[in-house]
Amino acid sequence: MSSLLSIRDLHVRVSDREVLRGIDLEVATGEVHAIMGPNGSGKSSLSHVLAGKPGYEITAGTVTYLGRDLLALPAEERAREGLFLGFQYPVEIPGVNNTYLLRAALNAARRHRGQGEIDAYDFLEVVRAKARQMKMDESFLTRGVNEGFSGGEKKRNEILQMLVLEPKLAILDESDSGLDIDALKVVAEGINSLRSAERSLVLVTHYQRLLDHVQPDKVHVLAQGRILRSGGPELARELEQRGYDWLLETAA
Amino acid sequence: MNAAVRTPVPGSLSQAAFEQRLRDAIMDAASLLNAKLLPVSVRSAALNRALAAGLPQVRDDLWRYADLKFLGSAPWAPAPAAQDPLRWVDDARARLPERLPGFERLVFVNGRHAAALSDALAPIDATLAPLVPERTRHERFGWLNDAFATDVARLHLGGTRRLELVFVATPVDVPQALHPRAELALQPGAGLTLVERHCGSAGDNSLINVAVQLHLAAGSHCQHLREQSLAAEAQLLDTLQVALDADAQYELTLLQLGARSARSSQRISLYGAGSGARIHAVAVAQGPRTLDHSLLVDHLAPATTNTQVLRGIARDRAHVAFRSRVEVTAGAHGSASQQSLKGLLGGHGEVALRPQLEIHTDQVRASHGATTGALDENMRFYLLSRGLDHETARGVLEWSFLEDAICRISDATLRHAAEKSLVASVGNAVASEALQ
Repeated sequence: MSSLLSIRDLHVRVSDREVLRGIDLEVATGEVHAIMGPNGSGKSSLSHVLAGKPGYEITAGTVTYLGRDLLALPAEERAREGLFLGFQYPVEIPGVNNTYLLRAALNAARRHRGQGEIDAYDFLEVVRAKARQMKMDESFLTRGVNEGFSGGEKKRNEILQMLVLEPKLAILDESDSGLDIDALKVVAEGINSLRSAERSLVLVTHYQRLLDHVQPDKVHVLAQGRILRSGGPELARELEQRGYDWLLETAA
Repeated sequence: MNAAVRTPVPGSLSQAAFEQRLRDAIMDAASLLNAKLLPVSVRSAALNRALAAGLPQVRDDLWRYADLKFLGSAPWAPAPAAQDPLRWVDDARARLPERLPGFERLVFVNGRHAAALSDALAPIDATLAPLVPERTRHERFGWLNDAFATDVARLHLGGTRRLELVFVATPVDVPQALHPRAELALQPGAGLTLVERHCGSAGDNSLINVAVQLHLAAGSHCQHLREQSLAAEAQLLDTLQVALDADAQYELTLLQLGARSARSSQRISLYGAGSGARIHAVAVAQGPRTLDHSLLVDHLAPATTNTQVLRGIARDRAHVAFRSRVEVTAGAHGSASQQSLKGLLGGHGEVALRPQLEIHTDQVRASHGATTGALDENMRFYLLSRGLDHETARGVLEWSFLEDAICRISDATLRHAAEKSLVASVGNAVASEALQ
């Protein structure tokens, strides 16, 4: 399998604090990776850096995506190149129609690929079908972006966006947090429906429970800004039983 | 105050020169000033009040954010009626906004009723006495509209009406002064949906001095959309006075979207018990534009209510100011007031927000808040991370900011009309899709 995302010795600072201290990670096309770790380990920082959020200073290392220098691309171009970040805390944008944002995002990517804008009626068909898949009432499509949504509804809306945009690489930052068991299943099914040989997924999570529903190919433990250990799905189960402390102790 | 120590705002114009210009203007315009429109006694009294009030002082808190430098060169006398009225009409027709379905329309071109562009509705109801409200220095330029107005929409309205007043400016050969004017009285229990638009271009160094006065009789209600989308060189003074009798309800939406310099002085007087006003204002300024608003709401009777949602965007070097004073008088127990003022900055723009509250009685519920800031970085990143470009993201977020006020318009037709006008101002074609 070819490498979709290649991170080499990535060091990142925020203000005076080093939040990532030498990350190495290879994600091949078609793979599902899980990045686990305790709070404050750098999981969200890694997601943000990959998506191009301002405020992070790259002090060393490289990130290659589709054979290109990812860090040289502005955030909007990363998105149009098929990189999707599912936010841990999706923002509310009151008064701006949810469907509008979906269509604007999709058309931005299509224009980037040299395609024309999607037909408005075809688009609505697609979005309605995806919303049904996420068990979201159609009224969510005409409401403001995440406006007044519950925590779980916001997470479903992130997955809905992902389903519509069909990214090449999706980084899902704690998409399972704040979900009840039914919502977790819906979110997991949404993620699974996008699994394919052409697409890679990186699940960033604190807990094992999402991984009961979305089986990862590889699991990495991130702590103190480094990947301490990588393995198969069994590593996630071991973490669930033993917690993170034993790894931190062996690392120290 | 001793005239000798006054320091008027417009630096190039002394108090004495201002007075002289007004007296000259009255002489120049004497033949144009229709005594049937307003009795000579009313006009001269108004002129005298304006002369006595003079120019606003630099330190006058009511006027400190206004950019009135243009008063140094702007004329006061209205231009003579067109030699060739058809040319005006053709010029104005091209500048007219789209018609709103179900609304009666009256069009005024350069301060004069244009029958050819209007519905067959007499602009002046002869049975109604002129509606000339008490004015203070806060409404001082209203006096000059009283003195110089060349025409008026003077209507006594009963039942349920939907009315659009369009004041179009078209350039003439010389700088001109326009004094657009409306006097509307609602009968008890009447309902009026009113759209008032100011558009077009009066030409360089011209002055547009609007005065609108509304009287809402007991139990009547009025939803009023005021849209100012004048050309970028326009210099505007605006005075709005609204008086409400018992249980009357007034909803005002102000869209301040054009002009080079605009000053709007608005006074809402809640005279009748149980009367209420909801005020939404949106101002969008870029380039060298200054949009200044001063709003006074007087609670003069028990159980009166007032809510305000005021939103301003200042980009580039533009200035936006909202000053809003609510006064609850001694007799107005059981009243409620809410003020929410927000400013959004881009570039080197400035937004000044001044909510003020004066309460002279117990048992009042009142709150106010004011915040100014730049676009939220987290919101911006969210949109960029979905592939939107910076310009679109800015437009979307500005839209979201303004929609907070616009979504509160209770009448769907007015709300859609306001949204349509705003989309053009946010300067982002993509935002229009956000409406669908």
